[in-house]
Amino acid sequence: MTARYALRWLLVAFVVLMVQSTVMLSVRIGGVHPDLLWLLPITAALLDGPETGALVGFWSGLAFDLTLPTPFGLSALVGCVLGFSMGMATAAVDKRAVWLKPVAALFGSVVADMLFAVLGAVLGQQQMVQINFLSLFLVVALSSVVLVLPVNRFMRWALLPGGGDRRSLVSAQSPDGGLW
Amino acid sequence: MAKSRRSRRTLTLVVLVVISLSIVSLDLNGRTHSITSGVKSVTNSVFSPLRGAVVDLLSPIGSFFAGAIHYGAVQSENEKLAAALAKLKIAQAEKGFQATQLRDLLALEHLPFLNALKTVTAQTTQVNTSNFTMTITVNKGRSDGIQVNMPVVGAGGLVGQVIQAFHHSSVVELITDGQSKVGVTFANGVIALADGQGPSASMSADLVPPHTPGLKKGAIMYTSGENGATLPAGIPVAKVKSFHASAGASQETIALTPEADMSQLAYVDIVIWAPAPSPGS
Repeated sequence: MTARYALRWLLVAFVVLMVQSTVMLSVRIGGVHPDLLWLLPITAALLDGPETGALVGFWSGLAFDLTLPTPFGLSALVGCVLGFSMGMATAAVDKRAVWLKPVAALFGSVVADMLFAVLGAVLGQQQMVQINFLSLFLVVALSSVVLVLPVNRFMRWALLPGGGDRRSLVSAQSPDGGLW
Repeated sequence: MAKSRRSRRTLTLVVLVVISLSIVSLDLNGRTHSITSGVKSVTNSVFSPLRGAVVDLLSPIGSFFAGAIHYGAVQSENEKLAAALAKLKIAQAEKGFQATQLRDLLALEHLPFLNALKTVTAQTTQVNTSNFTMTITVNKGRSDGIQVNMPVVGAGGLVGQVIQAFHHSSVVELITDGQSKVGVTFANGVIALADGQGPSASMSADLVPPHTPGLKKGAIMYTSGENGATLPAGIPVAKVKSFHASAGASQETIALTPEADMSQLAYVDIVIWAPAPSPGS
């Protein structure tokens, strides 16, 4: 990955983090706000496969963890597992299918929130499973379906600049490629 | 080729999971927590002004859509009035706490009352940054003398405790958060632990033994300020909503409603207070 593409991806992550901590926090339905974090690994996995999904999930999760009161590293853990799983689950699906992004956003965000809550509780944060999961899933899933298209647009710009000129966070040729 | 790519993918995931778990354990370990909180603190110092600038930029648009020209000023004034009213409510509620007798008693034990303690007024900048925790972020931090565990009051009673103190901001865990536990007492000196129950269920406490005399609906619970307590005595915490003890039960379960109006937290007071060091420490 060149410095140019890394900078693009960093810019996307920063903008999404900024939008999350300003606009999204003020959009509350039943006390729950939309969560843009999970859309980053989901869109990255749909655009560039499981490895990129895992890397984007890890780094964006770590960035979001810096601003959250939940255990540091938990979003990174869930993000990388989500990105990888999403990439594997959609490997055989036609990426041009219109339904793919909304459906992936809907299921991906719900599963990620569930995993986040359960892992948090396992790590001693019992309050993370004492919330109203129905309203959480409804708000996060529906907002993810709506917001996946703009986030996907940004992610496409970061990962696949120039439309068909496919570049990746992970080099297919180099065994030590990627963000390492 | 395909096999080697699959192995590399799996290796990437395994490495990322191991790194994530290592970071989580660093954060949860008491001895190494300072490393992660230091990183968070530095990031917060950089990120908060940027975030503030974006909020300042966006808030006029929000006000415009709200349809009122002076919406921001009126809202700010309302919030200040609500905070002033809340302070009066605390003072009034405190008087009902068998004031004279208990004050004399506590004075003998050198326990402080809220009125005698210094407070720092802070503005809430963020509410519930995560859907999984009940916290607020305020615009006062270590540079204003704020430390972790300091009590936070406002809107009529105890609001929570500082759990993270950065240079210019702090994160406050609300008393309704599932992790919150507050030592409380009511009129006859009976002591209990009030647990936060998350956003849907406010708070609860168990009293041992059941059928405690004096327990009634509407009774106000105050911080107990027992030896070693992390909060000073006499701060109104919650009101008894209902209570019941099953036949033969060894304890009475009490449902509590926070005394503070948790929807009016635009301004809060952080009490500059630290627990007295335990003897021998």
